[in-house]
Amino acid sequence: MENSSVITATNLVKKYGDLEVVRDIDFSVPTGQCFGLLGPNGAGKSTTMRMIMGLSEVTGGTLTVFGKPASGMARDIKAKIGLVPQESNLDPDITVLENLYAFGRYFALPKDVIEERSKKLLEFMQLSDKQHAPVNALSGGMKRRLTIARALIGDPEMVILDEPTTGLDPQARVLIWKQLLELKKDGRTLLLTTHYMDEAQRLCDQIVIIDGGKILDHGTPEELISRRVKGFVFEVQKPHAPGSSADRWDQEDIGDSVLYFVEDTAEFIADLPEDAIYLHRPANLEDVFLRLTGRQLREN
Amino acid sequence: MKMPELPYIHAVYDRQYRVFRKLLGSALVSNVANPILFLFAFGFGMGSFIDTMAGMSYMTFVVAGMVGYSAAFAASFETSIGAFTRYFLQKNWDAILSTPVTLAELMMGEVLWASVKALFSAICVLIVGWMWGGVPVIFEPLITLPIVFLGSICFACAGLVATAYAKGYEFFAYFFTFWVTPMFVFCGVFFEISRFPDAVQYIAWFFPMTHLIAAIRPLIAGTAIDPALIALHTAYIVIFSAAAFAIAHRKLRQRLYD
Repeated sequence: MENSSVITATNLVKKYGDLEVVRDIDFSVPTGQCFGLLGPNGAGKSTTMRMIMGLSEVTGGTLTVFGKPASGMARDIKAKIGLVPQESNLDPDITVLENLYAFGRYFALPKDVIEERSKKLLEFMQLSDKQHAPVNALSGGMKRRLTIARALIGDPEMVILDEPTTGLDPQARVLIWKQLLELKKDGRTLLLTTHYMDEAQRLCDQIVIIDGGKILDHGTPEELISRRVKGFVFEVQKPHAPGSSADRWDQEDIGDSVLYFVEDTAEFIADLPEDAIYLHRPANLEDVFLRLTGRQLREN
Repeated sequence: MKMPELPYIHAVYDRQYRVFRKLLGSALVSNVANPILFLFAFGFGMGSFIDTMAGMSYMTFVVAGMVGYSAAFAASFETSIGAFTRYFLQKNWDAILSTPVTLAELMMGEVLWASVKALFSAICVLIVGWMWGGVPVIFEPLITLPIVFLGSICFACAGLVATAYAKGYEFFAYFFTFWVTPMFVFCGVFFEISRFPDAVQYIAWFFPMTHLIAAIRPLIAGTAIDPALIALHTAYIVIFSAAAFAIAHRKLRQRLYD
């Protein structure tokens, strides 16, 4: 279904010299959905995003964006994409409003269109009273909101967000989530990377989990949870363990305790010794992520 | 490569212009007051020892040199330290390259703005020189303006080469020591390059500054001009600009895309 996909990657490969950072991945981003690209640091997310933006050359396979090869990066395609980068690259020499104005010019929009959209976008991102403030006077959350507003100045069909809420306070995150869902209601396609699984679970219709340049799993958040971690998680402190044989329950040893992923809670509780100490909660995407990508630290 | 289109080049230019308007005070100081100080020191100071040089008053000689140098300094600064700050520190170029603007258009916008700013400071020097009696004629100096503009484009392109290769701000010490300063002292700003040994003269003619000053000085002084020679100097400047732009584009492409 080529037509209903904004991005289609087929056998996509990216190598830097001998180092293969994206290894033969396939995915497609359906029009009008929020698509999450999740993975630990160094998984190949940013490289994939750079390839989609035409900033990084495709080594192998194909990558099409709005039906055209990403590497050619036709101007009319770039005009349909708004990018919210991870690091703020707002223009610090000019004001909030001027940032939107300058960006509108980069999209070759007429002056009156820029002015009209800027006003709406500042309202949308709740920055209207800051419009004449210099960028450096904004808080981290305001800067991120302005970056999102800036990405929308070209009225993009797709918005790419690279960790849009990292480092923000809960209030700012909630506002951004709400507005991102609004964008989706308008029919825009969202491509999101995040380290927050609650964020992915809340926003994304489809999720791809990648690590080491490969896709580990793909599906809706609900599918991933039921496939990988059943419905509930029991964290049982050692040395207690269920009475049945070890392979009856899907489990993972995490040191001082063991995690059990179960569908039927009553059955599992019945199998536990009476004095067992345990925590019990519904399984979530974080459990999926950690099961798939492991618990080792990924920095360096 | 996509053909560069004017609206996108102008968008980059326009951003620079807006910032310039805000920082007009410091921009005026560095681009106008600075060359004027030199003009006074050399025109009056040295001028009291030297009556004429190259068949014109020393004041006139220095005005012509400072017109060229003020353009060179303004354009070089804007596309080296100025552009590097936008590229490296502010990540402004990353932001721009995520829009429909291409790298070539971004660079052209930077060059265009740097050249307009350079022309502006050259005009200020010309006006001040004229007020102090260093410009004896009115019409001919106006012909220098397009040539100064082309020269500024050339200096701006050379500045972009430095930005393209710079790994940090330290790199610009080389750029200023081995490129900007030689243009100040070896290219005929304060005295004729014919005073140098031949070897130094050859080196001097490599610098577009020498060609710019050689082209504009007779026009500012109102002395006899050789249109063919002016065309030749201008051609050198244009070819140098194109080469520098191509080198900078190639290197920046490697750095900004992977």
